[in-house]
Amino acid sequence: MGDEYPTLFRSERMSLVQLIVPTEVAHDTIAELGELGNVQFKDLNPDVNAFQRSFVGEIRRIDEMARRVRFFASQIEKEKELVPIRPLYDSAPLVTVGPRAAQTIDELDVKLAEHEARLTQMNESYKLLSERLRELVEARHVLRETAQFFNQAAVRETEVRNSLDDSSAPLLQHDDREQQYSSGELQFDLEFVAGTIDRARLSTFERVLWRVLRGNLYMNYIDIQEPFVDPATGAETRKNVFIIFAHGDILLGKIRKVAESMGATIYPIDVNADKRADSMREVTGRLEDLQIVLYNTGANRRTELMTIGESLASWQDVVGKEKLIYETLNLLNYDVRRKTLIAEGWCPTRDIPQIQLALRHATEESGTNVPPILHELRTNRTPPTFHRTNKFTEGFQTIMDAYGVATYEEVNPGLFAVITFPFLFAVMFGDIGHGFIILIAAALMILFERKLGKADLGEIIGTFFFGRYIILLMGVFSIYTGFLYNDIFSKSLHLFHSGWDFPGNETTGIANGHTYPLGIDPAWHGAENGLLFTNSYKMKMSIVLGVIHMTFAVCLQVPNHIRFKRFADIYTNFIPQMIFLQSIFGYLVVCIIYKWTVDWSKASTQPPSLLNMLIGMVLSPGSVNPEEQLYPGQSTVQVILLLMAAVCVPWLLITKPYLQWQEMKKIQGQGYIGLDAEDVPRHTDDTTLEGEEEGNGRAIVEADGEEHEQHDFSEVVVHQVIHTIEFCLGCVSHTASYLRLWALSLAHAQLSEVLWDMTLANVLGIPGIIGIVALVLGGAIWLVLTIAILCVMEGLSAFLHALRLHWVEANSKHYEAGGYQFAPLSFARLNEKQ
Amino acid sequence: MEALLFNVSGGFLEGIVRGYKAGLLTQNQYNNLTQCETIEDLRTQLSATDYGNFLANEPLPISTSTISDKATQLLVDQFNYLRSNAVEPLSKFLEYMTYAYMIDNVILIITGTLHGRNTNELLQRCHPLGIFDTMPALCVATNVEELYHTVLVETPLAPYFRDSVSAADLDDLNIEIIRNTLYKAYLEDFDAFCQSLGGPTADVMHRILAFEADRRALNITINSFGTQLSKEQRAKLFPTIGRLFPEGNNALARADDIEQVRQACDAVSEYRAFFDSSGSQQRANGGANGTTGSESTADLLGDLDGELGGAADLEDRFFLHEVHLNKLAFLQQFQHAVFYSYIKLKEQEIRSVTWIAECIAQNARDRIHDFIPTF
Repeated sequence: MGDEYPTLFRSERMSLVQLIVPTEVAHDTIAELGELGNVQFKDLNPDVNAFQRSFVGEIRRIDEMARRVRFFASQIEKEKELVPIRPLYDSAPLVTVGPRAAQTIDELDVKLAEHEARLTQMNESYKLLSERLRELVEARHVLRETAQFFNQAAVRETEVRNSLDDSSAPLLQHDDREQQYSSGELQFDLEFVAGTIDRARLSTFERVLWRVLRGNLYMNYIDIQEPFVDPATGAETRKNVFIIFAHGDILLGKIRKVAESMGATIYPIDVNADKRADSMREVTGRLEDLQIVLYNTGANRRTELMTIGESLASWQDVVGKEKLIYETLNLLNYDVRRKTLIAEGWCPTRDIPQIQLALRHATEESGTNVPPILHELRTNRTPPTFHRTNKFTEGFQTIMDAYGVATYEEVNPGLFAVITFPFLFAVMFGDIGHGFIILIAAALMILFERKLGKADLGEIIGTFFFGRYIILLMGVFSIYTGFLYNDIFSKSLHLFHSGWDFPGNETTGIANGHTYPLGIDPAWHGAENGLLFTNSYKMKMSIVLGVIHMTFAVCLQVPNHIRFKRFADIYTNFIPQMIFLQSIFGYLVVCIIYKWTVDWSKASTQPPSLLNMLIGMVLSPGSVNPEEQLYPGQSTVQVILLLMAAVCVPWLLITKPYLQWQEMKKIQGQGYIGLDAEDVPRHTDDTTLEGEEEGNGRAIVEADGEEHEQHDFSEVVVHQVIHTIEFCLGCVSHTASYLRLWALSLAHAQLSEVLWDMTLANVLGIPGIIGIVALVLGGAIWLVLTIAILCVMEGLSAFLHALRLHWVEANSKHYEAGGYQFAPLSFARLNEKQ
Repeated sequence: MEALLFNVSGGFLEGIVRGYKAGLLTQNQYNNLTQCETIEDLRTQLSATDYGNFLANEPLPISTSTISDKATQLLVDQFNYLRSNAVEPLSKFLEYMTYAYMIDNVILIITGTLHGRNTNELLQRCHPLGIFDTMPALCVATNVEELYHTVLVETPLAPYFRDSVSAADLDDLNIEIIRNTLYKAYLEDFDAFCQSLGGPTADVMHRILAFEADRRALNITINSFGTQLSKEQRAKLFPTIGRLFPEGNNALARADDIEQVRQACDAVSEYRAFFDSSGSQQRANGGANGTTGSESTADLLGDLDGELGGAADLEDRFFLHEVHLNKLAFLQQFQHAVFYSYIKLKEQEIRSVTWIAECIAQNARDRIHDFIPTF
């Protein structure tokens, strides 16, 4: 096969394997494979209902255990004081494989149930106690507030008598007063109801009472300052103490009834001040007792939670894994008679020995001597796409997978993105200083990789952390392009001898014969025509880079055509596309470079505009204005190139459909009629044959459910027409699209210059203390803005444009992206999800 | 005009509600549910549907009432989401929908109080959509006038109640009269409101509400046989917006037995089918087998179990027809009736799921197919 070493160039070669697993070792085998994480199991009983599968009972039991574990977790979370949860790597592993596995799970189940029962009981008693506590607290409030009210009333009584004839007195007070008056000595003959009610309901309560009693009541209420906290949910409720005076048993009965139905609590309060004081004392005493009991209960509960917290993480882990194992087991075909489970799945061909090893290990672990058997099956189904990435390439591969998962064994653009992506980013972001900042940020993330990897970073920081190696390379490349642009925080470096002199107060530079060896000569910085120069330079550079990038992308078709044995596509698609692209835009690039090599100050003609040249080449072929001629014989060359490009369009359009049509004719001519069956199996291996020889009837998997591509002629034509139009128009618009490299790098340079001028430039050179203070302040502002705007915001924008250039401009040239991702059973992924 | 302007205020919510509707259980899912052996199986099955993990954190064993409560809670959450995002006139429309639940709650509490039930227990049994602030105070009232003046006067039900204030004491018959008067007034008011909206809302809602009105009229008539309710009183309770109005209503007012009721319904072909006992004995479970248009409903209903007489059977047919009408509402765009229909269909679905759960719990598997499928 020739690929001994895993490569990103193509996706991993996959095999469809069949595992025949004896029932006794099934659980351990799956556990082992889950640890290994490179087999993707297929559902072998898609018609069977979820609850009719073989291992539903186990799953249900695990679900129940999971529910208990979740319950513990939520309880721990709700606890006000932090309960430590021992991390997974620190806790003793719970072995759920091997001969004692079933016992371990049983024990765990019992243990969880016990903990749950204890915890629920404690919660209940805690709740009951806090309920009682709440009642007592409320009672105390009611007593205290009503006492205040009674005292006030007693003081006011004298005033009341004096103002008996005051006609403006409210009616209620009047009633009140009359009552008092008639009842002689006793101040409070009026009967009353006192209690507490939820503050939100108070107004409704009052309204209803008013209507029920037709206004024959006097109501007073006071806010209770502190909120009541529900121990179970932690929700706060605010309550009010109310006291209602009314007359007559029926009315009081009604008040009580309404109060009860509105959720108020009524407390018996005595009119007598002494008795009130007595009950106050009693309530306070009981309150103290209860608080002690409650504290003890709370402490007990906390200890219980601490014990749970000790092993919660490992329980979560075990339960999650077990659930995954049984769910996988449900996918397998269960042969009851032979006591075996049959599994089918995809795995990388390279990993088969590893899997064999794991299987043997599982057999040894479980203590039986019947090993699971692994066959490789022949199939014509499309295997999943699997790119073996490491932590460095993972980020780049994800960028490409986000566009689309590569077709099986297609050339993977993710490999090239490792360099092209940071490079195109850096072209837009070029600045030594800013590049250095993001390089440092990425380097820090990589340095503390282990620590940060364990912490939960949140969505935004987490994304940056995931892309730390991308950021690292982006930083490195930005420093490089920063040298080329000679830009550091919008200033220039004067590393070498400049090619221009400014003698005296001269404002025009004089060439001194030197050539600046790397990047742009710092003399351009601050020159009046500096912007003109860099614009022209960067614009041409973007076109050159763009055409190179696109040419490369078109070339990537070739390995695909060879691998998929579509040799005709090389000269029906690749060659005309290449000629078309090169004859127009390749020519432009050559002209750009040629124009750079000419010393126009000594040439006889004016430097021609390349844009006008290109337009003229298409619009008025064969005529070049001699004043704008770049080189002699230009018109002839251009006509030839244009003709070549023009020929390519019908070539692209017609040849491929024609060849297919011819082939179809040939097959029909030989008297064959298209059958739906696929012709050639994708690959045959010796192991497959062995599998067949063993007499297993299922060695070849029939291609079911795989849609066949109908070779419909009209479809081919339509597809090719679209493809041709897309490519030809795309060449123009995509080349123009690369101008974003210039635009963004210009914007970046200008923005950093503006920032410098607005902050630091103003404060530099102020003398004395003020100068230092201003410098510190201005420097701080400048630094913050540099990081926030220039590094983060501008960086994101450049990232986005680099992404687009890869997805749209490059991928459209070669990338089919018709595959589906390899999703193996893996415990590592389970942990990632949580 | 609706097509032009409806989406300005209602487009988002219509999209939401149609999305909700797409989550209703399908025939296939119902089939899966009926195959469940235990309630846990049912939970596993339901977790694969739009219900999701709504029962995941319930300790075993799960009672059927928990399923019903949790499912209703989902419905209430959805309704509240719609309601809090709605603007006029949809918000008013949704508010109207809650009045029906309010009436039910009021009647529930009055009846419960009359029979000496605990108020808190009653409050818990109230439908969450029909809860209003002063509801708990209902238990204080001992006669109708008090009921009105203490509590209902500030609720939206007050105008409906005005007509029945005359009745004196609260007893079972009076409560029943109050309920029906309230409903009559409510239906008429709701219909008038929908007519004021005009357009397809008016059309579709009128169809649904007319059936609702007729259903109530028929139920009142059939249930009043052999009670103290006089014919004049009965006639007053019939809503006047149904398709039976006016001749049918008059005939119903005079009816003495089920045969006369059937004659009263003869004028409306769909209703005739309710009493049609000549249909095949096969129970058609495929209520959703793509029947559209009113004629096919008649056929569909005709297919049903023909043993007439059992009120439960008639009730099932009513439900089936209601489901059918509600499903028709989804064929029209740019109108509010879909909101009404969705809630009704979801309610029906919850009833069906509860029925299935109940059958599983009580091991009555032979009756498990007697639910009313929605889609």
